[in-house]
Amino acid sequence: MLTLCVHRQLAEFNLEIDVTCAYPVTAIFGPSGCGKTTLLNLISGLMRPDSGQISIDDTILFHAEKGIDLPPEKRRIGHVFQDDLLFPHLTVRQNLLYGYQFLAPSERKFHPDTIIDLLELNTLLDRNPNLLSGGERQRVALGRAILTSPRLLVMDEPLTALDQELKDRIMPYLRHIRTDLGIPMLYVSHAIGEILQLTGQVIVLNRGQVLAHGDFFSIAHQPKILPLLEAHGFENVLPVEVIASNRVQYNNQTLHIPPCDRAPGTHIFIGIRANDIILCQQRPAGLSIRNALPGRILDIVETHGRRLVYIDVGKRLAAEVTPEAIRELALTIGDPVICLIKTHAIRIGPDVS
Amino acid sequence: MIFPTPEEYTVLVLSLKVGLLCVVISLPFAVLLGWVLARKNFRGKLILDGLCHLPLVLPPVVVGYLLLLLLGRRGFLGQILSDWFGVQVAFTWRGAVLAAAVVGFPLMLRAVRLAIESVDPRLERAARTLGANPLRAFFSITLRLATPGVLVGSLLTFARSLGEFGATITFVSNIAGETRTLPLAIFTYINQPDGEAAAARLVLLSIILSLGALIASEAIARKMKN
Repeated sequence: MLTLCVHRQLAEFNLEIDVTCAYPVTAIFGPSGCGKTTLLNLISGLMRPDSGQISIDDTILFHAEKGIDLPPEKRRIGHVFQDDLLFPHLTVRQNLLYGYQFLAPSERKFHPDTIIDLLELNTLLDRNPNLLSGGERQRVALGRAILTSPRLLVMDEPLTALDQELKDRIMPYLRHIRTDLGIPMLYVSHAIGEILQLTGQVIVLNRGQVLAHGDFFSIAHQPKILPLLEAHGFENVLPVEVIASNRVQYNNQTLHIPPCDRAPGTHIFIGIRANDIILCQQRPAGLSIRNALPGRILDIVETHGRRLVYIDVGKRLAAEVTPEAIRELALTIGDPVICLIKTHAIRIGPDVS
Repeated sequence: MIFPTPEEYTVLVLSLKVGLLCVVISLPFAVLLGWVLARKNFRGKLILDGLCHLPLVLPPVVVGYLLLLLLGRRGFLGQILSDWFGVQVAFTWRGAVLAAAVVGFPLMLRAVRLAIESVDPRLERAARTLGANPLRAFFSITLRLATPGVLVGSLLTFARSLGEFGATITFVSNIAGETRTLPLAIFTYINQPDGEAAAARLVLLSIILSLGALIASEAIARKMKN
């Protein structure tokens, strides 16, 4: 359990955090410049809070009043940076073992071979990091941090620098780390879709303050959270039941989803971005899109210069539509519409707990 | 005659000894100061920077004279060294090393500082989170990545020490077998009525040595770029 109560003055605002993360994986969500990276640096000891305390379980990492301030090398926090920060003069193997070598044998929780297998790094071991692809580099950085047997793994937007295909490829590794290795994680991201594939526990941060903390699906519709989500491409979230590896059921309708590894019968959440939903008035023929959800227009609003149409499909969905389309289709509140969703626009989220 | 005479041999060995020792004693200071100037911000940084680079622009004779004032028999430090440790610096080969080191130091410092500045400081932070203490992180990451620059600086300083004349002759004079390095020997021969042939041989040797050091440093610099 991570207990955080820190204050730190920054150039633009004050970082003021007081939270307790009891879950194995907690995500920190917030727009760029909200203090996410600073918070991680405070936890791993790369920056010093002005006041407060930080502890993991019974170990105090920082305590202003007691004068405790463990240096980074004593904190045992695995820090995965946005830029992987691999050491360019060392091979992949030497990078992986850099932190491992500092541990006494009794402190080593993982065998390098286990992690190398898990992250599929076998063929890269003797390579120079500069010759690796972005996804490979990030996997090495991940392995390097895990091999220090950390008390906590903090990840600072580890996937942001990667393209979508690579993100999709790395995510299963992250889920492995979460499920198989049992290392608690703090995962920072400004992409809700990414977060939901790992955990539903979210801390929403804005300008150094915690806006909300808890289960994403219970906080997402709070008035102060929604605009943040909308500003970052609102992710619609639907609870569904898995019926096959590529199909789920929602309100007696079958939705096609990208292949996922959940067992049939599992209840999971799926995410859909507002701008991945197409509205039409009649069920079209001759289209490749497999998913069509009928609903009624609840509201049409403008936020941050974008038009969002809210549709009741049993749950509220937001679709982003241009003003021209709203005029042309004469969309009005109460109209029946069909929401079209491409299979690959659907993100697989966490289990419904 | 291609082979050096015993006298030339003495000069050559002394010059190489002075050059190598000058590099060895400058190196720790250059790494420390290079790191301070590259990574730290503090009041008076400009002044420290200026002081470190002063020997580059001061006439070497001035450097030699200042060293003499400080470390000569009646100089403040010179007295302490001779009374407490029985070490004589002025007019000995140790003084020649020191003179060469002071004059060559800015060259080494500059190369080391630039090399350290070119290393991403976040790499060292990453090393810290992986369990390396500050010293370990510096040596295994930053200094290791800065090594080519440190080598280039060392070679430049070495080459500069082979040419050091003004500070040396002022501080430690021109004593055969003790402080007579290559340039001083050449100077001595030129001032002798029939010394021109001997001087020419040493000039050639001097050119070969200096060119070798410069080519080596350029080769390292190129390799570093790739």
